[in-house]
Amino acid sequence: MDLSRRKNVYYFVSFVIVLVLTGRMVQLQLINPEQFDKESEKNSVKTIITTPARGLIFDRNYKLMVDNKPSYSVTITKKEFDTTNIPVLSEVFGITPEEFREFLKEIEGTNRFIPTRIVRDVEFKVISYIEENREKLKGVDYKTEPIRFYPNKFRASHLLGYTKEISKNQLKDQQSDYYKQGDMKGTTGLESSYEEQIRGEKGYEFILQDSKGREVGKLNEGKNDIKAESGYDLILSVDADLQQFAEELIGNRKGGIVAIDPNNGEILTLVSKPDFDLNYFSGKLSPEIWTKLNTDPDKPLFNRATLTKYPPGSTYKMVSALASMQEGIMKTNSTIPCEGSFTFGNRTFKDHGAYGSIGFSKSIEVSSNVFYYKLVLKIGLENWTKYGLEFGFGQKTGIDIPEETKGNLPSVEYFNKNFPGWTQGWIVSLGIGQGQLGVSPLQMAGYCMTLANSGTYNQPHLVKFLKNPSTGELIPVGYKKRELNIDKKYFDVVRYGMYNVVQGSGTGRGIKTSLVDIAGKTGTAQNTHGNDHSWFIAFAPYDNPRIAICVLVENAGFGAAVAAPICQRLILKYLFGSTDETEIIETEMELPD
Amino acid sequence: MATYKLFRRFNPVIFFSAFGLIFIGLLAIYSATYNNPDVSGNFTKQMVSAIVGLVLVLTITFLPTRYISISAYMLYGLNIMLLVAVLFIGKKISGQTSWFSIAGFGIQPSEFAKFTTVLALATFLNNKEKDTDITNLRDFSIAVFIGLLPVGLIMLQPDTGTSLVFLAMLLPILYWAGMPNHVLFFIVAPAITAISAFLGTYYFIGALLLVLIGLFFFKKNILISTLVLTATVLSGLSVNYVYNKLQPYQQKRIIAMFSPETDALGSGYNVIQSKIAIGSGGLWGKGFLQGTQTQLKYIPEQWTDFIFCMVGEEFGFLGSLIVVILFLTLIWQTIHIAYTCKNRFLSICSIGFSSIFLFHMVINLGMTMGIMPVIGIPLPFMSYGVSFLLANLCMLGVIMNAHRNRKDYT
Repeated sequence: MDLSRRKNVYYFVSFVIVLVLTGRMVQLQLINPEQFDKESEKNSVKTIITTPARGLIFDRNYKLMVDNKPSYSVTITKKEFDTTNIPVLSEVFGITPEEFREFLKEIEGTNRFIPTRIVRDVEFKVISYIEENREKLKGVDYKTEPIRFYPNKFRASHLLGYTKEISKNQLKDQQSDYYKQGDMKGTTGLESSYEEQIRGEKGYEFILQDSKGREVGKLNEGKNDIKAESGYDLILSVDADLQQFAEELIGNRKGGIVAIDPNNGEILTLVSKPDFDLNYFSGKLSPEIWTKLNTDPDKPLFNRATLTKYPPGSTYKMVSALASMQEGIMKTNSTIPCEGSFTFGNRTFKDHGAYGSIGFSKSIEVSSNVFYYKLVLKIGLENWTKYGLEFGFGQKTGIDIPEETKGNLPSVEYFNKNFPGWTQGWIVSLGIGQGQLGVSPLQMAGYCMTLANSGTYNQPHLVKFLKNPSTGELIPVGYKKRELNIDKKYFDVVRYGMYNVVQGSGTGRGIKTSLVDIAGKTGTAQNTHGNDHSWFIAFAPYDNPRIAICVLVENAGFGAAVAAPICQRLILKYLFGSTDETEIIETEMELPD
Repeated sequence: MATYKLFRRFNPVIFFSAFGLIFIGLLAIYSATYNNPDVSGNFTKQMVSAIVGLVLVLTITFLPTRYISISAYMLYGLNIMLLVAVLFIGKKISGQTSWFSIAGFGIQPSEFAKFTTVLALATFLNNKEKDTDITNLRDFSIAVFIGLLPVGLIMLQPDTGTSLVFLAMLLPILYWAGMPNHVLFFIVAPAITAISAFLGTYYFIGALLLVLIGLFFFKKNILISTLVLTATVLSGLSVNYVYNKLQPYQQKRIIAMFSPETDALGSGYNVIQSKIAIGSGGLWGKGFLQGTQTQLKYIPEQWTDFIFCMVGEEFGFLGSLIVVILFLTLIWQTIHIAYTCKNRFLSICSIGFSSIFLFHMVINLGMTMGIMPVIGIPLPFMSYGVSFLLANLCMLGVIMNAHRNRKDYT
């Protein structure tokens, strides 16, 4: 075979190919490399990440609650940055060079070629300095970023929540690689639970710059750029006016308020006091303020509306009443003799009065303790716990913010575990809502809603709709609803008791008004560390409830004194838009359906 | 003398050319993945693959040749089954189902298919009992079938670049096995004419003239000549017809293959950037880890198909020249071995492997320098890729085995 000739074909072909490739290399790298070098300089592309605007938050009437405003952040591209500029830059920032070096240390490990944010929310004079000295300050740049802005008088700090710079650990643990050093992330409240919907999508801009760092245009005329997309807006169930009014009413006291529309579980107001100004968190959070908020003995960051677990006191009596009737232990018209005190074993439990033989309705109206000491012993702990669970105690309500306590609903297992050798005497005080029982104002509001509805429990929630920012489409958020296993006729009995608490001669008669029938119940949480805490739950109108409220005021003593009037004012405000009784009557405002 | 004996059995030139390329490749991968935490493990993976590959090369080099030829069909069959299996249980990465994921490592059967297909072809063409004759139409068809079966399966993934490699190695193997000149001409003529027709009418007419001269030169009978000429003209004319029938996005991709500037957002963007990177390297290069273009990560995945940018920018013309010279040395040595080796099986294998190396090199380097269509195939021994590197080293092993046994006929 003519392999010796064919071999030469192979040699020849491969040689020609290598020759052509080498020729191309000569052309690219030797003949005019300056042109490419220049092009490469010109072509040095700066990738700028644009921060999307977080979704806005509106109240139920589309009143703006949380807004955004522009701010300036200073960035540094480490590859280009000249460290001899540190003294002059730190002077412009108003910090020491050491502090500036700390900033630089914090962005260690980030991409050296991409501008990385070192300080957010700087003053405009810093920006103009950078702009004027651009040639000298290579690698120093700024970008505008939207930050949170709270335009209203009310705070709603705990329900809205704040955003905070992502921590090193969160950065490491994140599932995707969305967050970069220095990014803001929803940390508490709605900002946290709806973070993924609200944060939007980052944008990317590719900017060409010359060797002096001057921008000479956009890569490919900006065709490669990706625009930042704003996040989804939230439309809340909260009534901003009612929220503001509630915050004013509770004033400087400590406590929590939750108001719910019983028809659907929409939270109208959620207040926790003391609170804090969310504007602290929108730009750069000063370490002094952060330390102050964290070390304040009144714990302003703590959400008292959803995280406290105090004994509910007498407000819990309706649970025992309903349990005894549903379990067939008592009839609707059964009575219990109520002397001034009750002795069980060697312990005597006191009451604030002797009422003789009274039925359920009266027992609620006057808030007899002896009635419920005796009743809870008839019911037994197991049944008592069962009905607490029915009303959502001892478990999370599933409200759409992350901060929430399960509270504490004692059970047989709980006592066996924590108090081995416990006796029936232990459960006597549970009958009047004291002892180991712990509930949050949110759980209490849910409970009050269920009483108002005669047994329908709607999951309490803050967000009604997500709004797509580009299409304007409203996406409803779904919530659960359940019916309690308690007969409606038993609810009638306790509801009538609650009616008489206010409308009759009960413990809440002080807030009686001719404008609307309010049903409520007072409660006092025994506090071994100071004055008792004051509870009041109420719903109105009695026949067709449109609002259910729980008010907790810490260290305010008896429930009727402080908590009940707050409740009444909120009910009037919500139902009539005003709290001035004469004004309401004069304008003959009809009670809307 | 011991050294003399070693040189006789072990070919250091080819060995060190290949490992020189691997070494430069490792430097480039290190630089390309430096500052990119997502792929920082690639350098180590490639390093481990190179060490495993070294053992593989030495093992194959000193294996008795008949072990290789006996297992050729079996390996080929196994590989075909893997190619079928990958379509069903493979992992989909950027639109292609070509990977198995085994213990965190991606295995790409199509890379090994290049190796096993050459082995199978060489075994078939070297069948002494049946006296395979390439000029016989039946044997010719079987050989083409062996070569094209994997192409069909790989097209389903779909991976056009790798499929083209099989076509590119098939012709040189058949030619080396004795395919007559005019048959080669008859196959190549319509293909070249079709490409010319796509580039423009004048190219088409020029190509047709060349084909006419060729036909005259071979002086085959008038029937065959007419047939070839008709096929050539039809292939040229049908190009535009087929092109017009394609979807607009398919048309766009074809145009971008030939003129990257038209698709500056997609594949063209890479080519423009890669040209700038290589060009800005100049004579000496910018130095290791100093390439502004490549370090800026303009070019996605520059540790695979665009690895040559790193060399061009950071090591300049001299570095690039060394790469090209190492490739030429490797390829010429392999052709030399194919020629001197008495064992026909090993000879055909060697010519097949040298064709694969050559095709990969010309397409890859040509693409990064903007003179070849954008077909995504990697650079042998240098691009990152465990399967690819191991497959290349298997080929190197067989070539060195051929050198060791070049005096034996069996």
